[in-house]
Amino acid sequence: MMLQHGSTQLLCLTASSGVPLFTRGASKQLPFSVIGSLNGVHMFGGGQGVVLSSCETEGGGKVVWRVFQDSVMLIIVSGGGQDGAGDIKEEEVRLQRLLENVWSCMVLVLGQDELTNVRNVERLKRDLRSCFSLIDQLLEDRQQGVLGNLTHCVDSLLPPNPTLLQEALDSFAQAADSEFGCLIVHGRIAAATEKWWRLAPQEVVLLSALIRSLTASGSASCDYPVFLPHGSPTVAHRLLRFQLLPGADVCVLCGPTPSLHSAESGMVGRFWTPLVETLRDCLAVGEHSLPKSVSLHPDVLALLLINRETRRSVSCVRTSTNRPLGDPPLPSKARCWEILKLFYIFSTTRYFNQEETLCVSPEERAQRGNTEDFICGFSHQPLQCYLVTEECKSYGLQTPQHQLFVLAPLSVPTFALRGVATQTLSDIVAGTGF
Amino acid sequence: MATADARKCIDKNVCGGKTVEDGDEIHGSDCESTSSFNSSDYSDDLEPEWLDDIQKNGELFYLELSEGEEEAALAQASANQGVATNHVHFSEKEAEILTEQNKKQRCTSRAKGEPTLKRLARILRRKRWPSQLKGGGKDGSKENSALSSAPASILKNQPVQRQGVTVQQQQLKEVCVYLNPKRLAGSSTPLSEGGGLLEALLGVVHRPSWTRGLGDPSEVKQEDRLTIHGLIPNSPAIKCGQILIGDVLVAVDDVDVTSENIERVLSCIPGPTQVRLLLETLAPLDDSSAEDTSSVRKMKAAPPVSQLVRLLWGEDTAELQMSIGHIPHIVMYLSLKLDSASPQDEEEILYQYPASEASGQLKGVRGIFLTLCDMLENVTGGRILSSSLLLGKQLVHVGYWKESNNLLVIGLPAERVPLLYLQTVVGDVVRTLKVMYGSLDRAFCQADRAPRLDHFFCLFFQQLIQPSRLRDGSSAPPTDVSGTLFLDGLPAVRWLTLPPEIKMEVDTVLSDFESSDFGEMSEDFFGLRRLYVILGSCLFYKSYLIANHLPKEDLLDVCLYCQHYCLLPLASEQRVGQLVIWREVFPQQRVNHSSSTSPGYSQPQGRHFLLIVGLRHFMQCVLLEAGGCASPALGSPGPDCVYVDQVKATLLQLEVLEAGIEERLNAPPAPCLSCADWFLPAATARDRLDSLASSSPVFSKLAGAVKGSSAGSRGRALFGEKARRSSPQRSLSDSGSEGQMDAGTSMAPGLSPHSTPDSGRKLGGRRDSLGSGGSEGSGGSGGLFKIPRMRHPNPFYLGTLKKTLTERETEEMYNTMKLTSGAENTLFHYVLMESVQGIFIAPTHREVAQLSGSIHPQLIRNFHHCCLSIRSAFQQSLPARGRRAADRPQGWGLGPVKEHGVLFQCKPENWTDQRKPAPTMTYWVIGRMLLEPVPQEFYVCFHDSVAEVPVEMAFRLSFGLAL
Repeated sequence: MMLQHGSTQLLCLTASSGVPLFTRGASKQLPFSVIGSLNGVHMFGGGQGVVLSSCETEGGGKVVWRVFQDSVMLIIVSGGGQDGAGDIKEEEVRLQRLLENVWSCMVLVLGQDELTNVRNVERLKRDLRSCFSLIDQLLEDRQQGVLGNLTHCVDSLLPPNPTLLQEALDSFAQAADSEFGCLIVHGRIAAATEKWWRLAPQEVVLLSALIRSLTASGSASCDYPVFLPHGSPTVAHRLLRFQLLPGADVCVLCGPTPSLHSAESGMVGRFWTPLVETLRDCLAVGEHSLPKSVSLHPDVLALLLINRETRRSVSCVRTSTNRPLGDPPLPSKARCWEILKLFYIFSTTRYFNQEETLCVSPEERAQRGNTEDFICGFSHQPLQCYLVTEECKSYGLQTPQHQLFVLAPLSVPTFALRGVATQTLSDIVAGTGF
Repeated sequence: MATADARKCIDKNVCGGKTVEDGDEIHGSDCESTSSFNSSDYSDDLEPEWLDDIQKNGELFYLELSEGEEEAALAQASANQGVATNHVHFSEKEAEILTEQNKKQRCTSRAKGEPTLKRLARILRRKRWPSQLKGGGKDGSKENSALSSAPASILKNQPVQRQGVTVQQQQLKEVCVYLNPKRLAGSSTPLSEGGGLLEALLGVVHRPSWTRGLGDPSEVKQEDRLTIHGLIPNSPAIKCGQILIGDVLVAVDDVDVTSENIERVLSCIPGPTQVRLLLETLAPLDDSSAEDTSSVRKMKAAPPVSQLVRLLWGEDTAELQMSIGHIPHIVMYLSLKLDSASPQDEEEILYQYPASEASGQLKGVRGIFLTLCDMLENVTGGRILSSSLLLGKQLVHVGYWKESNNLLVIGLPAERVPLLYLQTVVGDVVRTLKVMYGSLDRAFCQADRAPRLDHFFCLFFQQLIQPSRLRDGSSAPPTDVSGTLFLDGLPAVRWLTLPPEIKMEVDTVLSDFESSDFGEMSEDFFGLRRLYVILGSCLFYKSYLIANHLPKEDLLDVCLYCQHYCLLPLASEQRVGQLVIWREVFPQQRVNHSSSTSPGYSQPQGRHFLLIVGLRHFMQCVLLEAGGCASPALGSPGPDCVYVDQVKATLLQLEVLEAGIEERLNAPPAPCLSCADWFLPAATARDRLDSLASSSPVFSKLAGAVKGSSAGSRGRALFGEKARRSSPQRSLSDSGSEGQMDAGTSMAPGLSPHSTPDSGRKLGGRRDSLGSGGSEGSGGSGGLFKIPRMRHPNPFYLGTLKKTLTERETEEMYNTMKLTSGAENTLFHYVLMESVQGIFIAPTHREVAQLSGSIHPQLIRNFHHCCLSIRSAFQQSLPARGRRAADRPQGWGLGPVKEHGVLFQCKPENWTDQRKPAPTMTYWVIGRMLLEPVPQEFYVCFHDSVAEVPVEMAFRLSFGLAL
């Protein structure tokens, strides 16, 4: 067995000639012969009018092929779960999403031209190295509480006093001669200009991911050229990022002016110094994403709320407080995030639609059609669903505007879940207008 | 050739009159409508009618449909005359029909010819070829089968018989035939002397010399013309049913052919393909020739036999297969061990089906399957299970099954089989093949198996891809694919609970049979070891299992076979005149058990045979063992008459119980069901009552009673209690229309306005009539279930109740068996599977049909589709369940799923009212997996108004559900 259980390897090759561009993930790289055959079978099928899209093996192993813009072939090989418990379908959606993200991220960093018109493969290989940190971040998916990569809905944080921040951000962006600006707290967007929200959800998600990785580098400010995969795949913009407080960053997308230096010295202090206390409040919200004013039902372990119109999401996992003795142990925080993700995939692949009219072209829709064919088989509209497993109970519901996924401990009676979920939804919407 | 056979028969007839006598006797006894048939009547010198159908390897698949009900009655009336059903279209029955049309002519011109014809007919019947025309007696059913055309044409070629002058008009007709040159190699038909490809490939016999001899003076250039002188059994020409002896083959695919060039033209056909034949046929204008009139009439008559039956008879596969040719699907058995020393084209394909264009594309990329299978095992450490491909716009899922050095690949369109369920489908096919042949290698690697496998997979694909087509011509409701997938995929058989006294009788009769205590079978009788030991048997009535004396795994094996050959729906939809199936089987449990000690297949204990006999709606499957304590089987023994007759006798013995079983089937559903349409305000209360009244006589009585009765104080008190239990009432947005409100309140004040007529309103009255008393007490207890249920916890076993209650009361009892809690009955549908016994129960087809409605069938389809998802969630968690929680590493998926529910919303279709939003109705589909006290899976569908606890519902339903 060449691939360890649970590990994932990403292969990138040129679609026309099959020259390997890079491989990421997994400690041990797959032998070249295997990479060649994996690419070969897909190419062979293409010649016969058959497009190979995915493959699965016993124990949850999975291979997904995808060609982007007829130029780059991405193959992802996943070793599967430890004892075959992972659901096939779930895994496939996750991998499909990952491939889309990796491609977008390559475009984000290098621009579409360089990827589609390959003149010098060696040079492209060198250039691609600049994407590695971002791709690795996507592959490892380590950061707790960030679900945007999967949901393609922007992870948001609802600050206690949004208007102050919004006004400050708007005027800051204006001063920087830009219409695109956002404030990121703990890796989630706390406020953004109107134009920023109009970017394709996938772009916003990737920009957030990029900003997170730039933040992780530890610098106080940076100036980074980016292509927007959907908005401007061929013309680069400048992404300016300034750290306001540890954990709080402000970014603008702008043209040639202003320079990083002038912006940092002239504007950051002027607009954001008066708001330091507000920002501190904002940081205090922390991972909960929700202001203290919103009181959650005590039985909610974790939640993910998606606004289907704005494509934004809030999510949180609550640290367990005092539980009565004798109750079954609650799943750990990390496990809660994991279950929340899995339950989201479970529900959306089987029952709820994921609308992505914005960022999915018809061809792409066909390519990932297999994830949606099951939903089409229903003659009636699924509204809610729940799942009782050995660890906790999960409840999902969908309204025209929202999707809500809630985890609750096993001690909550199943018939009460519905009440808990609907109450949670109305509380949050009433409290924050999300 | 047909002519030759017929002549031989006539010769026989001349030299040995005895044959005819035999024929007559069989004819009398094989109508089987006589309940007096029993084994003692049977004398050894009588051959059973299925005898000629036994294959060389001893297998038998004999299916004969009986006539419609009236004809059966008619047959009974004339039974003493010895002729009840007729099996050849121009025997007596046919003549009768003709009488109506042209009585005079028949009387004048045909009167003399009649007896000889009848005799000839009987001889022909007895001497017909195996596996064609088993539909004897079904009028018009065999217009496509060989005999109906062949004898008619025989007469055509014997102008001696023709009376008067025949004016013949030449007509051209086009016939499409499916030819497969590949089969030539494997087929047993040798390239016969002189016949060449015409005979071997097409199955048409042409004898140039005959034409000269019998030459019709009106024709010229007879030498060149390809007059058809005979048809070869089982050939494409005879299967298509439209090529008649006496026709002249004019062109093949627009190429004019003569006896000169026909061989060359046929040899140009490269592979399996459809060929268009242009034939010149003789359509005499002379009315007096009754045969031809009848055959023309037959052509027009709609076949009452469904495609399924014709498929089972081995007709028509090409045409059916062609109609799904554009949908990509394939089965291939590939060899992974390729001898590279002798690279031969397509050498690795051990078997492949079908040969359509879309599947050709899949066949073209078999390299992908082989490579992936080989490589991925090394990469991810698990065998490959499935892959998904895009063929143009169509998504195809491919399932794999690797066995030793070979790989079975099955490709199916995603819209028919969701990936979630592909594994189950592939697993079931493999198991069926293993049961039938022992192993995949044995199934695929024997040269002469190809036609049989083609038939096997034709059935397989037809059932998955166009199930509706198979059932057309019968009254079956439109099939839903998810339902078939789900119910067939359950490792269980549909069970029908019977009142205990009937059940006991059935079991007694089966046990008597299984004890093998009858004369010819006992060892003392002949002083020999018996041939077979009866391991057990199971009995189906109209596709429901009503008794099972087989271990679970054996039952599943037998059931898989029956499912694959659609025997169960066959018995429920069509009256089976006689069904006899005999074949060697390899029950998986027994075979695997023995092979675990000794590697490789050796025949350790004995060989097993499956005998299925069906009569009318009954079908009994018997598993026999040879070897062990019976004498070992040598070669490939065919069915033993003694055993077949004993099963038949058993079935005839059981027929007296049919009335009782029918009564159970006709009984109102218990637990009672609601129709989804009742919950939509679109249907007013009046509609509901009407639909109830029309659907069953019992309901109509009740409906009347409802109108008459005034809701007493008891009823109000009862619902008072219910209200105290604070079961959530349905919101008005759900369903609330004035009409309904009015009806509800006027008839039963104090009731919830939405209570269905069969639920709450009756509760009060019935309580009273039962006299079980204590309604006050039960209200106080606040238990989830009311008294009647506590007294009679098992809704299925009604027999004991019947003894104590009057009929009317019993009917009301039925009506109030309620699975859901709350005032009204909110249950729509359920499926409960008992994993240990391998059975499941669900509302019977009739119960579902009674609920009619427009939304309800949709709801059931949706229910089944959802069950696919729920069950796959259960299955995914099964392997993980073995481990303790502590052993589980992080990140292993959602974990074992115990319960899973989905809430659906439905709206009436074509809602036209613009002002008001369409009313909606919401309902739950919930699946629950239970491990204690017995492993069960429970799927239920109920209205949203009452919160239910599925465990309790399952418990209520399964209480006392025991074999």
